[in-house]
Amino acid sequence: MSEHAHGHADSHDAAHEDHGIAQYIYVFLALCVLTGASFFTYSSYWPFHDQPKIGWAFMMAVSCTKAMLVILFFMHVKYEANWKYVLTIPAGFMSIFLICALVPDVGLRGHWIAEEASENMAAPRGAQHAAPRHGGDHKGADDGSHGGESH
Amino acid sequence: MAHAVSHAGSDAHGHGDHGSGGDGGHGHLKLQYHPGLPLTNGKLIVWLFLSTEIMFFAGLIGTYIVLRFGAPTWPIPAEVHLSEPIGAFNTFVLICSSVSVVLCLEAAKKNNAGAAKGWVLITFVLGSVFLGVKMYEYNAKFAHGIYPQMPHSLIYEKADLNYAAAVRVRLEALESKFQADESALREKLGDAATADNPQLKELQDRLAIVTEQKAKARAEETTAATTPNPVERQAALESLADRISTLPRSHGDHEHGLNHDYQWLRLPIRIPGGNMWASTYFLLTGFHAVHVLVGLIVFAMMVPMTLNVARAGFIENIGLYWHFVDLVWIFLFPLLYLF
Repeated sequence: MSEHAHGHADSHDAAHEDHGIAQYIYVFLALCVLTGASFFTYSSYWPFHDQPKIGWAFMMAVSCTKAMLVILFFMHVKYEANWKYVLTIPAGFMSIFLICALVPDVGLRGHWIAEEASENMAAPRGAQHAAPRHGGDHKGADDGSHGGESH
Repeated sequence: MAHAVSHAGSDAHGHGDHGSGGDGGHGHLKLQYHPGLPLTNGKLIVWLFLSTEIMFFAGLIGTYIVLRFGAPTWPIPAEVHLSEPIGAFNTFVLICSSVSVVLCLEAAKKNNAGAAKGWVLITFVLGSVFLGVKMYEYNAKFAHGIYPQMPHSLIYEKADLNYAAAVRVRLEALESKFQADESALREKLGDAATADNPQLKELQDRLAIVTEQKAKARAEETTAATTPNPVERQAALESLADRISTLPRSHGDHEHGLNHDYQWLRLPIRIPGGNMWASTYFLLTGFHAVHVLVGLIVFAMMVPMTLNVARAGFIENIGLYWHFVDLVWIFLFPLLYLF
């Protein structure tokens, strides 16, 4: 490495070592608080137990915040040069595209499933007595002739 | 190496520029040094490895998300014996271990090898605690017949005639096994085979339970197969499944049934969505646990080393890997335990 590059790296290191330990402690405390926050959705004080999607969105936001804290401070990405974008952005895009590709075909497959297929699927909780699901009659429960596939 | 390549690159670049630009600077080429990537080869390799790991876990987690939300139903944690507080505790343990790794790096950078070794030991202990808790959790699943695959798995998706038949078959098998055991024991004991022999008594008690349950299950199966009214048929099957293991309605009210009271019974259990749950849970947590194990092996190898400033780069690299393992758990915890 050249003198210049060395000097550059050193100044970075020095800058973040100054507040190193204290910063790690702050990040640690923030991570603990955020873990408590996602665990809060489990407690009886969480007001949205009847609307799980609110809890899911909240927990994902908390998880992303925690992930950013770990990546930026513990993995020192905040102090790295621009090469970090070359590795992280394509991998991040790949993750997002993967979900986008899978959701319509696989994730939402239950929304337009054939009636015959739905007969062998597990019944939603509490719906064992209620007949209709996905717009069709739920006949599987009272007919054991095709039960082998349910396992 | 990086120096030479960069130098040559900049040289060629300079020639091209000046040649086409025609500014007459050929004789006074001012070579500018372009540094290569400002990171060591080891760290570059670790980051490249981590980018493949991001895609690997993104694939697994993405698949979990679409399977879970595409499923007609999904077990609540109490049904599959998942404990949210234990999951939160494990999250806390991994966060602490991430902190101990960065503190180890800071100590090594200051050439404080003793402190660095202490932090490595703490990290190793915390990682082991995480794996120990994970093993305890797996054990709880296995004890309740929750496996990712047959023949160990006792999970059935719903209470139908197929389920009732499986319960009856299991009870019949137990009955003939206990009967055989009883006659073998009587033969072995000879004259000592009295009613107050503890071994014999236990066997007879078990046989009585199995016989009673078999009669009940048979009656319910017959009702389910022959009664004209579909509501009555289903009610008979529900009562059978509920007696073995009640479906909890919410987090707090998980009542235990026959399988809990007599763990040797191991009757088929009804968990809607349980098979897919078991497959995804064991796959995700299993791959994560393998990553934790690899980290622990490296930390164990680090213990005899002198962790001075010369090792700082190495510690940073294993630290990056360990933080990534923590990162994956940060997403797995809410997805698996709280969703």
